[in-house]
Amino acid sequence: MSSSAASTPGGAGLSPAARAGTRQNRVRTLTDRFATRFVTASGISIIAAILAILFVIAGVAWPLVLPARARALPAVVLPAGTQPLAVRVDEYREEAFVATSAGLLLVPLKGGAPSAADLPALDGATVTSARSVTGGLALGLSDGRVLPVTTAVDVTYPGGKRLLVPRVTAADPLVADPAGRPVKTFALAETPDGPLLAAAVGPREVSLDTVTETTSLIGGTTREESRQSLALGSEGDASALAVDDRGQDVFAGTTAGKVVRFDRTDASAPGLAESVPVNGDGAAVTLLGFLNGDRTLVVGDAAGRVSTWQVVKDDSGRRHLARMHDFAPHGAAVTGFSPSRRDKGFVTTDASGRTMVRYGTTGKTLLDLPGAGAAITGVTFAPKADGIAAVDAGGKLLQWDVRNPHPEVSWRTLFGKVWYEGYQKPEYVWQSTGATDDFEAKLSLTPLIYGTLKGTFYSLLVAVPLALMGALYTAQFMHPDLKALLKPTIEIMAALPSVVLGFIGGLWLAPTLERTAPGVLLMPLVIPFLTFAAIAAWTALPASWRRVIPHGYELVLLVPVVLAGGALAIWIGSGVESAALGGDYRTWLVSALGLSYDQRNSLVVGIAMGFAVIPIIFTVAEDSLASVPQGLSAGSLALGATRWQTALRVVLPTASPGIFSAVMIGFGRAVGETMIVLMATGNTPIMNSSLFSGFRAMSANIAVELPEAPEGGTLFRVLFLAALLLFGMTFVVNTAAELVRLRLRSKYRTFE
Amino acid sequence: MRRLGRLLKGGEPFIWLTGSALAFSLLMVAGLLFLILRNGLGFFWPADVWVFTLDDGSRIGGRIAAREAIPEPGAKGPVHLKYRLKVKEGNRDVTGADFVWVDEAKIVKRERPADMVAFERREWGDFYGWAKAVKDGEKVVAEGHGPAYRALLSDLPKAREVRDEARRIEKDEIGSVNYAKEKLRLELKRLELHGVTSGPAVAKLKAREDALTATYDELVKKLDEVRSRLATTVVLETVDGKEKEVPVTQVLRADRPNEMGLLAKAGRYLVGVWSFVSEDPRESNTEGGVFPAIFGTVLMVMIMSLVVTPLGVLTAFYLREYAVQGPVVSAVRIAVNNLAGVPSIVFGVFGLGFFVYFIGGSLDRLFFAESLPTPTWGTGGILWASLTLSLLTVPVVIVAAEEGLAAIPRGMREASLALGATKFETMWRVVLPAVMPSILTGLILAMARAAGEVAPLMITGVVKLAPALPVDGYPPFLHFDRKFMHLGFHIFDVGFQSPNVDAARPMVYNTTVLLLVIVVALNLTAIVIRNRLRKKLRTSGI
Repeated sequence: MSSSAASTPGGAGLSPAARAGTRQNRVRTLTDRFATRFVTASGISIIAAILAILFVIAGVAWPLVLPARARALPAVVLPAGTQPLAVRVDEYREEAFVATSAGLLLVPLKGGAPSAADLPALDGATVTSARSVTGGLALGLSDGRVLPVTTAVDVTYPGGKRLLVPRVTAADPLVADPAGRPVKTFALAETPDGPLLAAAVGPREVSLDTVTETTSLIGGTTREESRQSLALGSEGDASALAVDDRGQDVFAGTTAGKVVRFDRTDASAPGLAESVPVNGDGAAVTLLGFLNGDRTLVVGDAAGRVSTWQVVKDDSGRRHLARMHDFAPHGAAVTGFSPSRRDKGFVTTDASGRTMVRYGTTGKTLLDLPGAGAAITGVTFAPKADGIAAVDAGGKLLQWDVRNPHPEVSWRTLFGKVWYEGYQKPEYVWQSTGATDDFEAKLSLTPLIYGTLKGTFYSLLVAVPLALMGALYTAQFMHPDLKALLKPTIEIMAALPSVVLGFIGGLWLAPTLERTAPGVLLMPLVIPFLTFAAIAAWTALPASWRRVIPHGYELVLLVPVVLAGGALAIWIGSGVESAALGGDYRTWLVSALGLSYDQRNSLVVGIAMGFAVIPIIFTVAEDSLASVPQGLSAGSLALGATRWQTALRVVLPTASPGIFSAVMIGFGRAVGETMIVLMATGNTPIMNSSLFSGFRAMSANIAVELPEAPEGGTLFRVLFLAALLLFGMTFVVNTAAELVRLRLRSKYRTFE
Repeated sequence: MRRLGRLLKGGEPFIWLTGSALAFSLLMVAGLLFLILRNGLGFFWPADVWVFTLDDGSRIGGRIAAREAIPEPGAKGPVHLKYRLKVKEGNRDVTGADFVWVDEAKIVKRERPADMVAFERREWGDFYGWAKAVKDGEKVVAEGHGPAYRALLSDLPKAREVRDEARRIEKDEIGSVNYAKEKLRLELKRLELHGVTSGPAVAKLKAREDALTATYDELVKKLDEVRSRLATTVVLETVDGKEKEVPVTQVLRADRPNEMGLLAKAGRYLVGVWSFVSEDPRESNTEGGVFPAIFGTVLMVMIMSLVVTPLGVLTAFYLREYAVQGPVVSAVRIAVNNLAGVPSIVFGVFGLGFFVYFIGGSLDRLFFAESLPTPTWGTGGILWASLTLSLLTVPVVIVAAEEGLAAIPRGMREASLALGATKFETMWRVVLPAVMPSILTGLILAMARAAGEVAPLMITGVVKLAPALPVDGYPPFLHFDRKFMHLGFHIFDVGFQSPNVDAARPMVYNTTVLLLVIVVALNLTAIVIRNRLRKKLRTSGI
């Protein structure tokens, strides 16, 4: 550095002292330059980092909207000469079990030759139909029996490496037809009472086989099989069957395009409950199956149509089948079906070799996978829903990797009405977690947004009149000395932590309001009335008395008036309650208006959150009212207008943009307020506008559910989406308010 | 009538109406503060202990917690004549509940026995009644209300010593052994991750682990020994003659409030307040003190201040002094201003997604792989909570500092530059000292905001009961990855999630008082500084 300084032409002839000075200057300049760069760089990066909040939150929510993806894996060629009927894979997707007409094949998916499983129970029969059931496969045999087979893998870790050994065990066969006719199609479910089998063997009937196992006192288990025959009559031949695992109903799809439901409420005599045509042209029903949880019935037909149905109760308590969704159709007859075991997703396949991944809650088709052209005869969703395996008539086992982490999310499920399982009709529901594994997540943000807006509305209803009137008084009529005292009080009010307001709201205000609600609701009438009465009395006083309290100090007089008004309102309220409302306003609310009174309700939130919002609206509004140029109001007063006329006709209109922005900023605060709504409402996500019921707001919902939501899961991302919505709402509103305020400010500048 | 019409036309009544709206708001603030103070501060006052004899002959003893009119559904008019008392009966282990409602009409006799004792216990809450006997094992040391009480009082200092000693062994000695053991376990795991499962290194660690286990067993024995030093028990008697024998070490304090004078009561009050701010919570936070919550709140605010000050000041200097003023900077300014209006929970969500899961998760994978799947940094903690709050409050500091910068007269900068100072020197020597009070105001406001925020903390690391403070005697002394307690969250948790809300209510009110004192004091300081500053600037303007 110093050598370069010496080589500069100007530095050569300088004295040592001057040279030292130059060096010092150089250091100073360098420091300055460095400081400039440092401040600029860190300023920009801090601003960027702050603004990046939006992008980080959006980035976490983003995968929700990504489509499902699938990647085809190389197909495995099965031994020639067998007709594959159904397939199942283990949870690591290393071993496939394929039911063929000859029996059961074990197919290693990571290389190796397929081998036939040893099934002595076949007893020389061939397999005529096969289905995936809980824990394995079930084979319908040519001799009228149905053989359930457990397929499992034993996992060991010799030397730290995973080793899978497939294990196949046949259970006791069920006899669908003692006459020994081949089983054309069947459905088997493990009900709480024992296995239940429905099978089609003869024309126009379904044979129903129930097994009850009783353990006798001596220790032996007796197995009792009983058989019933369900007549289909004129509905056609049974071409597809389904039984739910509660053993409630038996569904038969017929060659005439109908679904017939037999009600097993009386298990000894199941009756034909209804027969529903599922398509207009009578195409045969080729597929019936249940989604995870056995509540949604999937129906596929020979023309390739796929729809979901469920049994709903109408208002009179009668159960009937109702159509929930129609899915994008296959071009050819629907042949195979497999539900996801983790959620409400499923796959369907068709005779032309296409495989489609769909989702029950949303009614959407997520993936459309082309096949090899041969009809697919069996398909399975991998246990972790991360893959699909299918077998086709060409003797191939097709495989796909599937990445589909958030199938339950669509614009409809987030914001629209959705028909969930067990509901009578489509509804807006937020219920993110349930007790059982087959729980259907209900992630509608609509009730939460509704709750947020409801809380905001009621709190603004309380805060806006109080804050604006207070601001007008402070800015226009109050004595400056009093004002100097008041402003810090309001600032302290603004600084009160919301957890304190929420606590007081929930633990003190809620029970107090429960006793005094009619009186509190009367306050907005009684207090103004008493104020008018007070001024009437005041002006009647001799002028010398009135001089005690000059203009600008009315507040001193008004404090006792308001106190008296409040007490009077409560007194009148309880009088009204016992005289007109039958002594208890809550029973009156229920009987006369049909409203129930929750202790932590919107009224409590309105007051508690109104309390939080008042100082914000007050400060901004007072600011803009006070900054209206003196000349304007002075002119108005000089022309003979009264104080009030000046305030109302001159000051208020001039400051109106500022007042608008005050209300907007108050809105922004109320929308995002968390602790008050968390503590002062019941947090039930209901949608009703009643003042006396609670709600669940987005902010409180995030605070309650985010700590429990697993990272990267759908709920986690949906909560981030809710945060993004909150961010967006407040940011837009606040920016609008700020712009309005800035414009107002520049407008005033011309007056000065 | 005409006068009234003229009055309405002139609008004077409406002015009064606006005034009454303001009065209403102010009364709400005053009422809220009064409510909190009344419910909170009264709790430590050693109120008299009553014995009520009811008309059925039963006796109820305790402190009066509240008195209210008995609601009469269907009664005409708002007139109530009957009242009932809410009596804090205490003795939860005997009666099963803390409070009992007593109809005043049923009370035939009220008395305040001078020798009635209020016991404060470590478990099961307060006990009201008498000490009937003090026993050492089977041997009765003192008997009768008077002697037993005095014997108990003389034992209390020793009980305290034993408790403190046992606590020290538990927390410090056994705590440090456990800490060392955990470190060894992680060391072994780390070796295992590198493929070392045997050899001299592992054997050495194993030997040390065995040694620690031996120390641990010894300490447990020592703990038992300390606990057995005071084996005295006291037999407590309720007003209706039920007895309960408890170890003396379980009794924290015993008083006879009915015979205390005003001065004695005031002294006892101060003791109560001190124990509230200095002790650990007991009985799932419904009794005892809130010291860990105060500590957590203060430490979090301190970390936040350390982060937020440089960030805010640098940004303000950039925006006001270095950036080229134009539409972009104006837009940035508006955006930064508006961030102050973004809901705090959104910042919490950001903190969880970015600090906890992204940064914390990456740190864990890189440096703390041996303790996975238990996260070290990839879970909420005081550092992440403080950083989240510093983002939340940085707009406050930026706005305050910018306002301060804008208020400094141009002349000062120009004079400095004209004298040959560089821009940096002007900033450092002239502008920064002048703007310091504004920065301080901003910082104090930021601290007040941070101290009162709860929602973002709930998802970034606050817990209802932290096992250890974030600062302690084991290296590295500051454990910023630890979860912490916070006064605001304490209010929410004890008030809304506690199993015994009624008994915990005074605790909640007192915590509220404490939080309010902190927040209001910070705000008042900021207001005072700002007002002084304004005056100073006004004079310098002249």
